[in-house]
Amino acid sequence: MNKRHYKFKPDKQRSDHSERTVRIIAYVFLTVLCFLVILPCLNVISEAVSPGTDVLGGHVFFWPTGLQFENIRYILTGTSFLHSMFNSLIVTIFGTLISVLTTIGTAYPLSRPDFRGRTIITFLYVFSMIFFGGMIPAYMVVKTLGLIDTYAGIILPFAIVQFNMFMMKNYFEALPPEVIESACVDGAGDLKIVSSIVCPMSKPVIATITLLYAVGYWNNYFHAMLYTTSTKMQTLQVYLKNLIANIQDTLAESVGSTGYSQNLTSDGLTASAVTMSIIPIVLLYPFIARYLVSGITIGSVKG
Amino acid sequence: MQHEVPVSSKAATQKNFRSKCRKTWLYIKHHPTMYLMLLPGLFFLFIYKLLPLYGIQIAFRDYNIFLGDNPIDAIAKSDWIGLKYFQRLFSSSQFFKVLRNTLVISCLKIIFLFPLPIICAILLNEVHKKVYHRIVQTVIYIPYFFSWVLIYGVFYTIVSSYGVINTIITSLGFERINFLTDPGNFLGLIVFTEGWKETGYNTIIYLASITSIDTTLYDAAKVDGANKWKQIWHITLPGLLPTIVLMLILRIGNILNAGFEQILVFYNPAVYNTADIIDTYVYRIGLGQMDFSLSSAMSLFNSVVAFILIVGANTISKKLLHRSIW
Repeated sequence: MNKRHYKFKPDKQRSDHSERTVRIIAYVFLTVLCFLVILPCLNVISEAVSPGTDVLGGHVFFWPTGLQFENIRYILTGTSFLHSMFNSLIVTIFGTLISVLTTIGTAYPLSRPDFRGRTIITFLYVFSMIFFGGMIPAYMVVKTLGLIDTYAGIILPFAIVQFNMFMMKNYFEALPPEVIESACVDGAGDLKIVSSIVCPMSKPVIATITLLYAVGYWNNYFHAMLYTTSTKMQTLQVYLKNLIANIQDTLAESVGSTGYSQNLTSDGLTASAVTMSIIPIVLLYPFIARYLVSGITIGSVKG
Repeated sequence: MQHEVPVSSKAATQKNFRSKCRKTWLYIKHHPTMYLMLLPGLFFLFIYKLLPLYGIQIAFRDYNIFLGDNPIDAIAKSDWIGLKYFQRLFSSSQFFKVLRNTLVISCLKIIFLFPLPIICAILLNEVHKKVYHRIVQTVIYIPYFFSWVLIYGVFYTIVSSYGVINTIITSLGFERINFLTDPGNFLGLIVFTEGWKETGYNTIIYLASITSIDTTLYDAAKVDGANKWKQIWHITLPGLLPTIVLMLILRIGNILNAGFEQILVFYNPAVYNTADIIDTYVYRIGLGQMDFSLSSAMSLFNSVVAFILIVGANTISKKLLHRSIW
């Protein structure tokens, strides 16, 4: 035993050496990557709260040089930040609710092998997923329906995302068929089977789909911009884009409403709005991240 | 079944058809809720995904939005014009510029960003400290949840003329760079921010695929004296290969999608020459300049080519990996 161990030692040492090299490279590479993600965020937060003279002088790097909240206060009280966040919340909450229910309702019948009409309906969903009618006709539909500047106009075009529906359908198909069949034999109706058997067994995929829809609704900029025209209806993303585009006007307004202050700067105001938009994501992140990790696994395994 | 067909094939198919109808009818009678469940989805599918297909004919008509009671009604009332808009499109220099920009941006993204998550996942797999592993995974994954507008806001602050990047550049003795208006630097910013947003997410896809590799292979390789590099080259990479191929096929199938929302948020007239892609062009001339027909012609060209590419990608994926994308 001892002898054998000795015999393998030189080999083991050599492999340990390469193992160490790889590990050092991994630590250096990944640490640099983490800093590349964190530093821009730290910079923005620092720009938001550092004194205006330091912001203009280019003295702010990755840590605040002082603390002032005039920019953030103006963003929260003087602009429509909170109102657009409210709009985003409405769109996200109701949109996600509608989407998840619609997706479950579509995925379950299509996942049953004995369902009549399965082939044709599945084909419609696949075809519409890979052949896009174009943004002009899509816009015309929303316009014709009179949904411009309404919550429904922002939500309903995304009520069902085919990719999510197929992910859910694949998951339902992989459930043990005996459970559903035995419930059928016991005389349970289809709705009852979905609500009390299929859904409880599919919690991971439902959580993932919920998150995908919620992130989609919250982050959507183009359609929220396209389908709204008034300030009253704009979502957070539209608000933020407009704020940055017209930052000089915002600066002038802020000076006009709160009086001149050295701390009010265009970079400071931009950074403040960005910071206030990052905070909710970072606060929610720990609760949602693990669902998306499991979601990626579901998506990548089932294709 | 096979024996019955030659005897009286017509009667057999008729009988077959009738029994099929009967079965369908019985199914519908016993499971009405199944169809009720499908209704909302089908409604949205019809209104938002299939009805726009009707609007494709705008590309072949001289569309005038004021002809009808509403934009859809105006379609049928506009005159057929044949391929005029396609001729105009294919003879314009704009078309080739926009197509070239789309392909250049997509290719740059593939070349620089496709390998990155693979490298990350392999290196992350070599880190055995659980806490560090978790921190890295958490941190690089966050930007996936940021919208493009938010990322634009973050980088707008950083690359602005008195932002941190320019402060560093000038302190090193170089001239200030305007990243948002200089065409070359703009493309760099586009590729970088795409990597910033997506690398973490893609890393986790590869990481999930690495964990399914049989760990006894590594033990066997160690006994055979293979060092870490050889283990990565001969075990980890081959284990990842199906996922890598699938992702690459998908990415190439989507090559016409160079990142619409990202570019729409980031770009400005100063960089139209290198950054205007098919989708932004369709949006700008269609909904901006109200040139609906030309814009729809471009859009239809895009949809048809994208459709062919995606179906091709799926065929290759089925043949090579026995996996269908849908």
